[in-house]
Amino acid sequence: MAEFLMYFTNGLVIGVINAISAIGVSLIVGIMRVINFAHGELYIFAGYFSYHLSLTFGLSPILAMPLSVFFIFLIGILMERLLIRPTYGDEMYSLIITFVLSIVLQNSALLIFGPYPNKPPALISGSTQIFGLFHYGNQRLLSFGISIGILLFVFYLIKKTWFGKSVRAISQDREMASLMGIDHWRINMISFGLGAALAGSAGVIIAPIFPVTPTGSSAISLTAFVVVVLGGMGSLKGCVVGGLILGILENLGAAYVSTMYRHIFAFIILILVLVFRPWGLFGQKT
Amino acid sequence: MLEIKAIDVFRGEAQILWNLQMKVEKGEVVTVLGANGAGKTTLVESILGIHHPKKGEILFMDEEISQKPPYLITQMGISCVPEGRRIFKEMTVYENLEMGAYPAKARPLLKTTQDWVFSLFPILKERRNQIAGTLSGGEQQMLAIGRALMSRPMLLLLDELSLGLSPKITKGIYGTIRKLHQEGVTMLLIEQNATMALLHSQRGYILETGRIALQGSSQELLGNEHIRKAYLGM
Ligand SMILES: Nc1ncnc2c1ncn2[C@@H]1O[C@H](COP(=O)(O)OP(=O)(O)OP(=O)(O)O)[C@@H](O)[C@H]1O
Ligand SMILES: [Mg+2]
Repeated sequence: MAEFLMYFTNGLVIGVINAISAIGVSLIVGIMRVINFAHGELYIFAGYFSYHLSLTFGLSPILAMPLSVFFIFLIGILMERLLIRPTYGDEMYSLIITFVLSIVLQNSALLIFGPYPNKPPALISGSTQIFGLFHYGNQRLLSFGISIGILLFVFYLIKKTWFGKSVRAISQDREMASLMGIDHWRINMISFGLGAALAGSAGVIIAPIFPVTPTGSSAISLTAFVVVVLGGMGSLKGCVVGGLILGILENLGAAYVSTMYRHIFAFIILILVLVFRPWGLFGQKT
Repeated sequence: MLEIKAIDVFRGEAQILWNLQMKVEKGEVVTVLGANGAGKTTLVESILGIHHPKKGEILFMDEEISQKPPYLITQMGISCVPEGRRIFKEMTVYENLEMGAYPAKARPLLKTTQDWVFSLFPILKERRNQIAGTLSGGEQQMLAIGRALMSRPMLLLLDELSLGLSPKITKGIYGTIRKLHQEGVTMLLIEQNATMALLHSQRGYILETGRIALQGSSQELLGNEHIRKAYLGM
């Protein structure tokens, strides 16, 4: 029982991180109809940034984490300006560009950071007993807390602020949104930066638990895409529920079936959703 | 207030508007009549900056706007009730109105403008927390008008207000147009269904295959034999 609960808790922790990463993808798809294949690489880069900022440059991890996310935000903004903006209106081009970029970034990561897994220092050590049943690492509990905080922040941003409302308006009807006086070029750029920053946040949160490697990035993108499809295109709630379901299933599956199948589970879920409910759990049936 | 000077507008390869001239003065309600495909929507969208004329100028408050993007034109004070309403269906009624008040100039007035809109359309106040996509057609049209008013426009463009609405609801909506005119809102009414529009405007233009075929006071146009046959079904 205690063992099951521990795997389940692992699933929750990974689940909320999945959710953050998936919202990054979903936001960009929803507003610009662009699928960012380089999503996983941005996630990995953030992990390496926080590793090097704290270990090579001696910054406190509390500073290294947000600073890494900020760098990824800037990279996202640059990507949109230089590579994505010229492709608007042609989804095929943006697909090819982000795909090529993902390969370029993955190889750069290999060149710059080397092939070895790097684990930034933990923010906190020790463990806490949960309900008197099992001990759970404090770093993981903290990661869970930070992730929940980020999710609440994103929900607030999208539901309540002018920026969030413009994002939703553009996702529904881009032309009408511009007739409201919304400068959609600017909103696109910021949203792309935000999508990247969310990939980066997931990366810096997970890196102290599971070290990042350059070759891990494709699986990270895959997971994010599966969560978006499972939750339903354009649904924040869907990303959270989808992220949790995938996190829990993968962790229980890895514990009780085999770790070898971890990514197979994601793939099976993807197929099942596409066959039985292609619009996802919370998506709009069109 | 609005002056269109000999514009040629293309959509893709096809020329839709030909050397089109027209004017709207402050405080006026002006009608543009035209059959299906005459180019009425293209005209509205050219004023709004969705299409840019290849030739000619569009002056708004004496400033040339024809090459500006839509968001800047909206911020300058033109807003529209588009053909087919195009409200934000997944947002609430309240959020739709808020989106209308997006321009920086309109935001500080959001609360007062909203009270004004609610006084014009009390049903919107009742339904303010409802998802807009679940409103009836007439209510969606009211919401589209309300949303357009939220930016406190100097000029309001209305593309086929009566499309798909029952005569009774159309009458109600035109009642609101009359009120808005009395409050000094300048409007351009684009219609296929002519009687209502001509009865509520001072001047009118007839658009035929992208050219102005005829213009005059609404009274004159209402009495014109050709127009009675072609647009009023009499
Ligand atoms: N995307 C497009 N590309 C090319 N031509 C178009 C496009 N959309 C419309 N047209 C053409 O432009 C012409 C004018 O269309 P427009 O929609 O402006 O007419 P309208 O007067 O508003 O008609 P309706 O009464 O049907 O709304 C039509 O001949 C139409 O076929
Ligand atoms: Mg039309």
